[in-house]
Amino acid sequence: MSENKIYNIVFGGIGGQGVLKASEICGMAAMLAGYDVTKSEIHGMSQRGGSVESYVRFGDEIYSPLIPEGCAEYLVCFHEEEYSRLKPFLAADGKDYVSYIDVAKKAIENPKTLNTFLVGVLSASLPIEVEFWMKSLEEIFPEKIQELNKKVFLEGREVGAK
Amino acid sequence: MSANIEVKKAFLSGNEALAQGAFEAGMKVACAYPGTPSTEIMEAVATYPEIDVQWSVNEKVAFEVAMGASVGGVRSLFACKHVGLNVAMDPLMTASYTGVTAGFVIVVCDDPGMHSSQNEQDTRWVGIYSKMPVLEPSNPREAREFVKEAFEISEEFDTPVIVRMVTRVSHTKQNMNLGERVVPEQPPFEKNPAKYVMVPKLAYKKHIIIEERLNKLRSFAETTELNRVEMGDTKLGFITSSMAYSYVKENYPDASILKLGFSYPFCDEKICKFAADVEELVVVEELDPFIETHLKAMGLEITTKDPSFMIGELRPELIKPLVAGEKKVEKISNDRPPRLCPGCPHFFSFNAMKKQDLFVAGDIGCYTLACLPPLQTLHTTICMGAGVTFNEGLRKANPDAKIVGVVGDSTFVHSGITGLINAVYNKAKGVIFILDNSITAMTGGQQNPSTGYTIRDEKTKQLDLKALCLACGVDNVDVIDPTNQKEFEALVETRVNEDSLSVIIAKHPCKLIKNLG
Repeated sequence: MSENKIYNIVFGGIGGQGVLKASEICGMAAMLAGYDVTKSEIHGMSQRGGSVESYVRFGDEIYSPLIPEGCAEYLVCFHEEEYSRLKPFLAADGKDYVSYIDVAKKAIENPKTLNTFLVGVLSASLPIEVEFWMKSLEEIFPEKIQELNKKVFLEGREVGAK
Repeated sequence: MSANIEVKKAFLSGNEALAQGAFEAGMKVACAYPGTPSTEIMEAVATYPEIDVQWSVNEKVAFEVAMGASVGGVRSLFACKHVGLNVAMDPLMTASYTGVTAGFVIVVCDDPGMHSSQNEQDTRWVGIYSKMPVLEPSNPREAREFVKEAFEISEEFDTPVIVRMVTRVSHTKQNMNLGERVVPEQPPFEKNPAKYVMVPKLAYKKHIIIEERLNKLRSFAETTELNRVEMGDTKLGFITSSMAYSYVKENYPDASILKLGFSYPFCDEKICKFAADVEELVVVEELDPFIETHLKAMGLEITTKDPSFMIGELRPELIKPLVAGEKKVEKISNDRPPRLCPGCPHFFSFNAMKKQDLFVAGDIGCYTLACLPPLQTLHTTICMGAGVTFNEGLRKANPDAKIVGVVGDSTFVHSGITGLINAVYNKAKGVIFILDNSITAMTGGQQNPSTGYTIRDEKTKQLDLKALCLACGVDNVDVIDPTNQKEFEALVETRVNEDSLSVIIAKHPCKLIKNLG
């Protein structure tokens, strides 16, 4: 990893879409890969169908868990209607994953795995080995849905690598 | 550390880290009433079978049960959100006088920015008001470490200790190393009325002691590593605490910083020395001018925020404008507002009230969202239980208006019941709706006495709300499912037109309850 490089990722959507789970998978994988990590989120009223956003930052040493507007290198949006709200977070040369919502919807059978697919797509651009992603999925999902999520993740990862 | 000892690592939120730290400190009893952003502390504590943990019926009860355990000789903890502390202020103020037997920690989660709260009060002032020490972690790692330190301070100085969190510390996750649990030896159980019976004569003696204690804590503030000087470029010297520290570090990585982890009582000597070592002294703090007021009283010349920054939470991008003395630019939020879930039983309850064109005195819970379109059928919200009491007060001013009060199953037990007894006793009329969705829903689905399950989902005696209301002496108590719309609307129409005091228990389970039945 390059010196003092900090990776800034914004995840956003609406309550019930698994936005926080997605950022959890990412934060956990980054920790397992040996990075210093913060993941910021808000619980409470926002869960009632309102806007949800979560920031993951990892690198050598992280202080602020929040990402200012214009500073996210990666924006993973889960809901088209939230895009205009989230777009300002993206850096000028940042990577925007909004077009993958449609790709994901076509690729997955179970709509509940949208979050896992999108993290898979994102994973292809992050300096975290696939073994740590797999381990993260094992930590986060109960055993009976681990295999499904690993499969969906790897499908997303393949799409992201293209 | 020797290489063959494997350090246990975890990715924990500030709330989970705090629970872990308390576990490591040998805490044995923990109590709370749910409240965002503090709820996950007790949920995390409940995962440690060694700890006796409970959802209490309200914060005053939680505080007293937890403090009782400390007086009895085991380390204990009470957790709440900022407004929850208001409910516990009665025991808190005198707990400062009595002190503790084993360590007693009061965790308060403030909510700058009001992500999920009705006001933005700054708990640090409670340190001054109650003469108790306040610790402020800046991140989840510190939450784990500081709570352990808090138990030590509590025992060393014979005082409850406040650990003040904020939403961004509580709900941020961070990687950290964990430690082992060490349980201190329990002292013999003794009667000590001079310490624990606060009648005037004894309390006077205790007041002398707590003023002395404050002086000892002032000396401690000078030496503790919780107050840390990070010398860098001396052009700018920041005094900061809590999450604001992280934002300062992000914006001014090379500046000098005095980080207050032990923020009350203040370390005046350390502050003066730091002030002398830097060219410009800058205070960066979220919400109220707590540090600022003290530094100004010390006669120090400081750069500080425009008062517009007292409102709302800080963010990393606000620090430079703040330091430059600019006014805060209010950003218009285009967030999608929260709303009642599809099929929520509260919708049917409020829809029936809307048809009767009632003035609805509200309370705190998911149903507070009924103030928003499309329902717009909730007209006051102050605090828990106030739906019941506001019905009474509003009617005194407007005897001919159609007024009702609403309260939830959990908030009725929290503080609605006392208002109902008051209404009966003082001959008030009206209709009180207990919106019983059989869970504490807004905070994510916690058990309460009316659900019949404990925090660990173990079966317990279930509170009978109907029998309770009847015992209070209410004229009519109906239990009805609001999703049977016709029947429900007919009942509401009848009751609101009667000259009596009625309770309608609108009973239908929350759609999000995980383990129904």
